[in-house]
Amino acid sequence: MSGESATTAIHKGQVDLLDFIDWTSVECLNQSTTHSLPNAIKQGYREDEGLHLESDADEQLLLYIPFTQVIKLYSIAFKGPEDEGPKTVKLFSNKEHMGFSNVNDYPPSDTVVLSPEHLQGKPVLLKYVKFQNVRSLTIFIEDNQTGSEITKVQKIQLIGSTSKCIDVEYLQMFLKIGGKIVYFEMGNDNH
Amino acid sequence: MVLEATMICIDNSEWMRNGDYSPSRFQAQADAVNLICGAKTQSNPENTVGVLIMAGKGVRVLVTPTSDLGKILACMHGLEVGGEMNLAAGIQVAQLALKHRQNKKQQQRIIVFAGSPVKHEKKMLEMIGRKLKKNSVALDIVNFGEDDEEKTEKLESLLAAVNNNDTSHIVHVPAGPNALSDVLISTPIFTGDGEGGSGFAAAAAAAAAGGVSGYDFGVDPNLDPELALALRVSMEEERARQEAAAKKAAEDTSKQGGEQQAGSQEASSQDATMTERASASTSEAENKTTDLMDDENALLQQALAMSMDEPAVGHDVKDTDMSEASVDDPELALALQLSVADSTKDQASQSEVLADQSAVSDILASLPGVDLNDPSIKDLLASMQNKSEPQKKNDDKSSNEEKK
Repeated sequence: MSGESATTAIHKGQVDLLDFIDWTSVECLNQSTTHSLPNAIKQGYREDEGLHLESDADEQLLLYIPFTQVIKLYSIAFKGPEDEGPKTVKLFSNKEHMGFSNVNDYPPSDTVVLSPEHLQGKPVLLKYVKFQNVRSLTIFIEDNQTGSEITKVQKIQLIGSTSKCIDVEYLQMFLKIGGKIVYFEMGNDNH
Repeated sequence: MVLEATMICIDNSEWMRNGDYSPSRFQAQADAVNLICGAKTQSNPENTVGVLIMAGKGVRVLVTPTSDLGKILACMHGLEVGGEMNLAAGIQVAQLALKHRQNKKQQQRIIVFAGSPVKHEKKMLEMIGRKLKKNSVALDIVNFGEDDEEKTEKLESLLAAVNNNDTSHIVHVPAGPNALSDVLISTPIFTGDGEGGSGFAAAAAAAAAGGVSGYDFGVDPNLDPELALALRVSMEEERARQEAAAKKAAEDTSKQGGEQQAGSQEASSQDATMTERASASTSEAENKTTDLMDDENALLQQALAMSMDEPAVGHDVKDTDMSEASVDDPELALALQLSVADSTKDQASQSEVLADQSAVSDILASLPGVDLNDPSIKDLLASMQNKSEPQKKNDDKSSNEEKK
């Protein structure tokens, strides 16, 4: 994880939300069967240059990513080819089972327009207040950089924090230096 | 066993009045629909099926996807033929109906019965196909009824646009002697991409083929395997037993004349009646009959021995029977010993009876080396005569038992 932070500069206190994804219910519409979603988000696959997510019938992609617990989304990072990488990306929080026909019926929680430099893996900060209680995330890739028939995504990284746990790295460091954990009640705990 | 929501699009246009499929195109189509609904609901209980009509007054959903087979069959009842088919609208409405399915985990599938000519442009159909693929909806096309090249071409291109990894299929059914349903049973539309549903299809195929096809006992092994197995086993056992009995009969006739044969034949006929009744406990029946036969043989032997040989020999025969039994059970052995002790008396008393009734002197005279005038023999005769009367009744009873 620290290796990744060197390239993607994860903000302090935020983690890669890879571990909190509920893999059994992950869905992706209009993906090519040979180039599917795990290639873009799974550990190891997404680092592989040869594996990427590709769209099928047209250039749009609809990803549905549920989480195992409630998380807060801080930023999102994409990696893709310059020409066929995604451009306009709409994010929907807590909307289940959307289809291409009703993506435009709801206002997105946030809209991101990616530039070629973003496609190097530079994280895009999101409207943090809109993503405080995220159970599932729907990513709608509307078009790509050049308007080609197929959109290719090499890697998608979700950065944020969970509501109840503290940062694991922090905890490890804390214990290493001889700190002790004392349980105490906080005033405004968000139950 | 894929969890699936299916929408079936029925063509009830004027072209369905034609009788080139028996009894009429529409009826053949209805039968096929019923069969498909049954297969889908059977392969997975959570599957849902819905039906809509494409012609008539317009595209209309008859029943939204449900797992209730009765509801589906009921809505097929009383459908009218008329109007013109609108394929594009039909598919789009079907897609919408599937979108609003209750269980979002179900895979989406549309089955289209295209009987009348297709009036849409190829491009439009391709666009529809692409849209279906984008929303991961599979499409099965049944091309029957009107047969022209353009129609086939259009439907093929539609399939090519939709097909994603061989989940969609097209079937061309020409008019002929085979019913539409029968042709469809063997297609992937029924067999569900080669996995589940084949059980139902196999059963349906068997029923269609005409049921009883020369089963051995008039019992279908598929319906009742246990009964069929029991019948087969009992038939084999009976055959084996009859052979053994016949062999034994052949041996015994040379030894002891007709009685043995009669006894064995009686036993075998008993067996025959038993198999005719086709009892499930064939092994039990077999044991019983063999026991009976053995007992009969032993008793017959005994009777013959007693009548022919000396009493001592008969006594031995009885002894051997007893000793065989005594090996198993000590209590039984004790009882037998006592009874043997009694029987020796009976044996002797039997001979006494003989001595009394038939001219004992004659018999004794016939025995070699016995001189009636011998004083010891005279004494013996006198003592036997004294004992004979009180024991006569006992003898009668025991002799009756033995004779059985």
